[in-house]
Amino acid sequence: MSLVPEKTDPAWAWAAYKPDPQRPWDLRLAGHLFRRAGFGATWPQLQQALREGPEKTVERLLRPADDVAAFNRVFDEFEGAMDPESESTEPLRAWWLRRIMETPHPVLEKMTLFWHNHLAIPRNRPAHALSVAKHLQLVRSHALGQYDQMLDAAVHDSAMLVALGGANNRKSQPSLDFARAFLEELTVGPGHYSESDVHGVARAFTGLMVVRNRFRFVEREHDDAPKKILGRQGPWNGHDAVKIALAQPSTARRVVAKLYRWLISETEPPSDKLLEPLADAFASDYNIARLVGAVLRSNLFFSQAAYRQRIKSPVEFAVEIVRGMETLVNPEPLGHELVEMGQDLCHPPTLKGWTGGTSWLTDATWIRRHNLAWAMLSGAEPYGGKLDPWAVARRRGFSTLESAGRFLADLYVQGDLSSASREQLKRAIARAEAAQGNPSKTVRPLAHAVATLPEFQLA
Amino acid sequence: MALSRRDFLKQSIGASTLVSASASLPCFLARTAAAAQSQSPRDDTILVVVQLAGGNDGLNTVVPFRDALYARNRPTLRLSGEKLHKIDGDFGFHPRMTAFHKLYHEGLLAVVQGVGYPNPNQDHPHAMRVWQSGNTRPDAARTGWLGRAVDQIYKVDSARVPAVYVGQIPRPFTMSAERAIVPWVRSLDQYGLRGDDAETPPAAPPVPSADRRSSSQEAVGSPPGPDALLQFVQRTALAARATSQQVEAAAKASGGDYPGFQFAATLRTIVQLIRANLGIRIFYAELGGNEPGGFDTHAGQALNHGALLEQLSESIAAMVNDLKRDKLVDRVILMTFSEFGRTVAENGRRGTDHGSAQPLFVVGGKVRGGLIGKHPPLDDLEGNGQRAHTDFRRVYATLLDDWLKIDSRPVLGEKFRRVDFLRA
Repeated sequence: MSLVPEKTDPAWAWAAYKPDPQRPWDLRLAGHLFRRAGFGATWPQLQQALREGPEKTVERLLRPADDVAAFNRVFDEFEGAMDPESESTEPLRAWWLRRIMETPHPVLEKMTLFWHNHLAIPRNRPAHALSVAKHLQLVRSHALGQYDQMLDAAVHDSAMLVALGGANNRKSQPSLDFARAFLEELTVGPGHYSESDVHGVARAFTGLMVVRNRFRFVEREHDDAPKKILGRQGPWNGHDAVKIALAQPSTARRVVAKLYRWLISETEPPSDKLLEPLADAFASDYNIARLVGAVLRSNLFFSQAAYRQRIKSPVEFAVEIVRGMETLVNPEPLGHELVEMGQDLCHPPTLKGWTGGTSWLTDATWIRRHNLAWAMLSGAEPYGGKLDPWAVARRRGFSTLESAGRFLADLYVQGDLSSASREQLKRAIARAEAAQGNPSKTVRPLAHAVATLPEFQLA
Repeated sequence: MALSRRDFLKQSIGASTLVSASASLPCFLARTAAAAQSQSPRDDTILVVVQLAGGNDGLNTVVPFRDALYARNRPTLRLSGEKLHKIDGDFGFHPRMTAFHKLYHEGLLAVVQGVGYPNPNQDHPHAMRVWQSGNTRPDAARTGWLGRAVDQIYKVDSARVPAVYVGQIPRPFTMSAERAIVPWVRSLDQYGLRGDDAETPPAAPPVPSADRRSSSQEAVGSPPGPDALLQFVQRTALAARATSQQVEAAAKASGGDYPGFQFAATLRTIVQLIRANLGIRIFYAELGGNEPGGFDTHAGQALNHGALLEQLSESIAAMVNDLKRDKLVDRVILMTFSEFGRTVAENGRRGTDHGSAQPLFVVGGKVRGGLIGKHPPLDDLEGNGQRAHTDFRRVYATLLDDWLKIDSRPVLGEKFRRVDFLRA
């Protein structure tokens, strides 16, 4: 049984969703939108979205009223204050997590994470922490901009060159590792290039160096003789190689397919026919905001083909709990926990990025999620009393344990539960009511019970 | 923080929990749960890899005591024949390796001599990366050799990853995998489920409606449909609870006696995880390090090295004794390696510097005990250390193909000739 029936018309799939009696705009879909476009929502955000409808909500998510530039400038400065001698990316990871928790523009961070996963800089060739910081800022600055510009900038920057083995690309010894990764992972993809293209790309990128963690172009090491790349002959350099690769239809198609998996579904790969309109549009302008906007507004996005068809990554799991509680937590211990769950922000495992999907959840990572949720919600160290479900429930007008329980379920899973989970929730409410003591304490296990429902693991 | 004993006693624990919960599960979930249990068969082979970090002096570990060149090169560090635990007329174990000597005579220990690779690197991180990646050009390696082995046997929709690394060690590159998230186990406590609701049994997933039942019967693993992912999460939650209970039971079970070394505690943890029967087939641990107290014995080597070898041999022997108790010893093989051996000549500071070839130890019930391969001659050196005659990837390939039954070619990139250290 396919969630995207064969006869699905791509024109319908990508047309904007308009609520109607069959597919009403409700809390479920609002929650879905905030999960995918960002890192969950607060109660007021969900309520505002319900009032305003999908079109205006998507618009607000893409172009928030707040001064996003000023916010990001401040965080860039924070990151710039990192110890320049430090090899460790732990401080950077903590700043990024804090930015994700606090940002007025979650779509931007969600897409920064997407491109970070696509232009991955894994640990096996560790770039300097400051290079990684610069890479992230580069990716963020283009995350909703132009893909062609982002790709060109990224492969002419120290972190990617180090990660892809292209940091010392000499005329006498062009880096085939770099060229292969460029073709295989970043652009046209397997089956769309030959060994001679690898050599051509490697020669085009000669002269690119990383010296003392900084990018340098060394003219005398550049091979300016003609070379052939993907059928085109000329005295190409790195910028030309990027343009030539971008002109291949498979480059745009791969990015769009990755974005489909990121925003719509991990369970079912899309057919070429379904992707075609998006891929064609993207190949014509490489405008990322337009692509993301089209997906987030679409019929398909708000259909059963997308709803809960992803598993939350560790950072989504953790930050959604935090954002729902309208607060921040210490990002340092949280960053370490995410590493243990398989998501080392700043370092995807390989150039292929995180595998994602069902690989996020195993017995061991489930236990970690369960215990992290308890660590954050229990009120104990290292997160302290930052998350206060009782205070949030009361602030939002729910002042009995029973109503607080319903509120938490509506906030985190929009009350959309299997009958088993509903029973589980009822029992948790009953336990909280039976427990003697201050509701601000007895509500905590109840909040934990919601965060560990199977439904909450789905994005 | 930790779950108290009392909390655990409240629940009936053990492997039966999962099955007893299944009375209320829809049939395909119950079948999957039962299948998951029978799918970690008790006869699966297990590999434990131990890195001796810092560069072990193989020459003073398995000592060629009659070799005149040995005596000449080691004016102060020389170990004389009478103190050694004799293997034969030419070789003996370091005096503090009593336990290894015993294992050797029981036929449970093989010494694979002269292992390394051509043009050996003598820089710690680089050489370590070679061994950990299984690639002599480690810059090009994206993953570790054990990580690639794990990726081969791990299915992304299964609830268990067949590997862990154990102890207070940095994330080892050798466990870097493309797909699998290999857990780091510092203590068995981390398997406990915290929070009050950990006391309740898992909620029973919904009984499928009639039309859903038919589709769920054809695919046990992941039934198609909008709820497939939700059902995967429910299965994983069940598996997690079962894991937690199995580990707790294994931690409580009486185990063998171990010496007080931290490394021994690490090995004990590994045996407990084996007993918990979680389907973990590849373990990784370390002894030593580059810092003082590790195997990087540039100065004043004798006592430091002796202490480490005693920890190594006593701890592994304790592990073997523990494994013997329920015949687990035939399912487990432990292999040691170090990033390099050391220089044949000592360096004037009663120490030795970074060398090349080294002996590897392979321990287990199915190991063909003995000295495997020739001792590399002390008058034909490479990088001032002994010259390797056995590529380390031959040892890896033997363990992958013949022991773990994991095809070594995709892991190592090419086919290597086996080394004969396993019993048929």
